[in-house]
Amino acid sequence: MTTQTESRKRMARAMRPIYLDYQATTPTDPRVMAAMLPWFSERFGNPHSASHAFGREAEEAVEAARRQIAGVIGADPREIVFTSGATESNNLALKGVARFHAESKNHIVTCATEHKCVLETAMQLEREGFSLTILPVGGDGLVDPAAVAAAIGKRTVAVSIMAANNEIGVLQPIAEIGRLCRERGVLFHTDAAQAVGEIPIDVDAMHVDLLSLTAHKIYGPKGIGALYVRRRPRVRLVPLFSGGGQERGMRSGTLPTPLCVGLGAACALAAEEMDGAAGMQGRLRDRFLAGIQARLPDVIVNGSLTARLPGNVNLSFPRLDGERLMARLPDLAVSTGSACTSAAVEPSHVLRAIGVPEALARASLRFSFGRPTTEDEVERAVGRLADEVEGLRQDPSGGA
Amino acid sequence: MTFILPDGSRREVEAAEGASILEIAHVHAIDIEGACDGSMACSTCHVIVDPGWWPRLPPADADEEDMLDLAAGLTATSRLGCQVRLTRALDGLVVALPARTRNALLGR
Repeated sequence: MTTQTESRKRMARAMRPIYLDYQATTPTDPRVMAAMLPWFSERFGNPHSASHAFGREAEEAVEAARRQIAGVIGADPREIVFTSGATESNNLALKGVARFHAESKNHIVTCATEHKCVLETAMQLEREGFSLTILPVGGDGLVDPAAVAAAIGKRTVAVSIMAANNEIGVLQPIAEIGRLCRERGVLFHTDAAQAVGEIPIDVDAMHVDLLSLTAHKIYGPKGIGALYVRRRPRVRLVPLFSGGGQERGMRSGTLPTPLCVGLGAACALAAEEMDGAAGMQGRLRDRFLAGIQARLPDVIVNGSLTARLPGNVNLSFPRLDGERLMARLPDLAVSTGSACTSAAVEPSHVLRAIGVPEALARASLRFSFGRPTTEDEVERAVGRLADEVEGLRQDPSGGA
Repeated sequence: MTFILPDGSRREVEAAEGASILEIAHVHAIDIEGACDGSMACSTCHVIVDPGWWPRLPPADADEEDMLDLAAGLTATSRLGCQVRLTRALDGLVVALPARTRNALLGR
């Protein structure tokens, strides 16, 4: 009985799809989990209960995590506000500063390839009376800093440009944009959910005023993130929630100690292992791409291949239906368009923004490589993908 | 300098050079609390500087900003009255008193 169960488990493991979707989410690192576990049960205190030892030890754990998070972006721990994730951080940053300065300023600048939660937040502010500039990007996916400079006016309160794109992985010139925002006295926010822990970030060198990050993209738990809020010169915002005034009044609500500890531990590990992990992911990505290009010479790489996260590649397969391809590849876990919009049938707004025609956008896949990815997985993925693409193209009813 | 009171009325008063806004208010019986006597512990002397005057004020230091974080009804031109001293350049300064204050010493 037991051996049967065991062998079935082994089978299930062998049958498990190859996971190449690390930009959607990552598994929590066992070391992160180990750090979190005590804070669920025996060390359960409320970190805001300063009157007894249970609360104080939880508070110390939260503050240690805050230091670890600050460390990975070159910030002061007092500049870190815990949130539920990058969506909340982006909402708090943009709605917060826009509403705080609403009496004197009314204009927001962002770009067409931002994550939905930035674009939707900006559009909500537009409905509230703010004016909005959504800058286009080039065919390489990059925003032109000169276009940002030209868009800034006397009434501009903030510019929001992401650090790394979630679909095509391109890295925006945030240091350049940060510098010009500082010169013009405009706040600069960057959604760095895909960048923190993957590439070096320094909020001072990059002149960032507000930065969003999340744990589950860097081998931490889901449900926790943070917003960096600059103290010098002080950035002020109107909170989203009314409540007990935790997090310096910017984010009320009892902090989830185990999740805070998890985000801190994930940041500390990322800082420690970033260089090696980036090098390895870059080699695996390059090997994957070379393998695909050797078998499918007409494959198209979407977005700049140089200004890009090491662990991302986004490919279009001409003369093919992406949905049909995915239906034939249950053993490969990858994304069509972005994971957050994959429930909708509309093609990716990012691919549209870089000028990919709709038919090609529908035949595009995002592959993202992570710390656990192995060479064997990459080789098998290349083989399976190329086999099915060739098969579909030969099938008279299969091509697009 | 001029104080705009919570009811919208204006009080123009003589201000000695070097005195803080809090001290000037107290001399003229203008109702700013100043519970901690200028030791930056309470935020009850929160004033809102007229935006036209704002660029002429020297910036707040980190301690003042920390106290302002706790002030009720904070605005983009908020300062602590105990930390802004009148100079010749600020002759004619206009500040408004917020509708309510929050005493950080009392936690309310």
